[in-house]
Amino acid sequence: MNEVEQRLYALGRELELPEAPDLVRSVGRQLDEQPGRPLAWRRAVGVALIVLAVALGAALAVPRARTTILKWFHLRGATVERVDTLPSAVERSRAGGLGRPLSRGAAERSVGFKLVLPPVEGGSPKVVYVLDDSVASVVLGRHGRPVLLSEFRSSNLAVLKKSAGDNTAVEGARVGGDPALWLEGGPHTITYVDRGGGFRERAILIHGNVLLWVHGPLTLRLEGSLTKDEALALARLTR
Amino acid sequence: MVDRPLDDVELVERARRGDIRAWETIVREYQGIAFRIAYLLSGSAADAEEAAQEGFVKAYRALGRFRRGASLRPWLLKIVANEARNRRRSAGRREVLALRAAAENRPGDAVPSPEAALLAAESSSRLLDAVNRLSESQRLAVACRYFLELSEEETAAALGVRRGTVKSRVARALERLRTELGEDA
Repeated sequence: MNEVEQRLYALGRELELPEAPDLVRSVGRQLDEQPGRPLAWRRAVGVALIVLAVALGAALAVPRARTTILKWFHLRGATVERVDTLPSAVERSRAGGLGRPLSRGAAERSVGFKLVLPPVEGGSPKVVYVLDDSVASVVLGRHGRPVLLSEFRSSNLAVLKKSAGDNTAVEGARVGGDPALWLEGGPHTITYVDRGGGFRERAILIHGNVLLWVHGPLTLRLEGSLTKDEALALARLTR
Repeated sequence: MVDRPLDDVELVERARRGDIRAWETIVREYQGIAFRIAYLLSGSAADAEEAAQEGFVKAYRALGRFRRGASLRPWLLKIVANEARNRRRSAGRREVLALRAAAENRPGDAVPSPEAALLAAESSSRLLDAVNRLSESQRLAVACRYFLELSEEETAAALGVRRGTVKSRVARALERLRTELGEDA
């Protein structure tokens, strides 16, 4: 160790730093108020499989019953279920929004992957919203209308579940050879399981059309008042 | 028979099974260094407290992803540091946290002569000024390594960079400090 390093260590002991608060009680209280074991990967996968198995069992047992799942569409990391009655849901603005507003770099560090974006009107988005360190969303301008693009890593156990009623059309599509799903028409809901294995139970009501597609390790979701052709064109530009 | 204190591995295993009291023991052990890192990165004591608290809660929830056999401290510090950085960005703070030396001697310090105390204070002040003039990335690397006495691995985790980046930032910072301080260094 040279002299400058010795002096830096000594200086560190003279620095004025605020006294560290006692966090034991506040952390313990927060965990007590929201109990729940940390989910190990195997257990989390098990839980997800059980959820899927139970839902699938219900669908097969009573495929035409009221308020049950009528049909499944699955895309890696996302499942769309056709139901005849939507679960109760809240509007996005009442559901706490899209997450924390961050810079693009901070958002990418938070979710652990690089965002893929189409060429954007008005330059790169200044703000990226991050929900539970799993889902990154940006608001893009397209044909003068706002469009929401959300991205998450499919392999991170982020299981996106959408429930769509009878008046929502759900059909398969392709984006540059990758599988995609197009939802158009009436409102539908969205819920997901986050990367930490926590369940976000609150369903959010979505009114716009939605394109879901796979892009490398990511699953992408485009939402807005776009036609199918417009959404597919925008999705093909995303890289 | 006297119960021996549980080590991190045992505490983490208990916490994985839902034992919140075991996790509180981890919080007690690491809250000091977690808060200091958060303060350094967020520039605010209030944000640092929130970041450290939220970091410990998030880490508990994420224990399923913690690799058995890995060192807990860098993993924890990384989560807390991320929280602190996010709070600083959300608050839109751009100013650099200026480090300050404590005005008084700490209890137990030897009482120097007035002349020696003055010389030592001047020397510390020059060094601190030079550290505060470093670029933010170099200053944070120096602060983590020497002021908070983190290892290279922990510094890399806290700053969200690779270990090699920490090495090069510290090396460049030391070179600049030597140049700035001239013969004193």
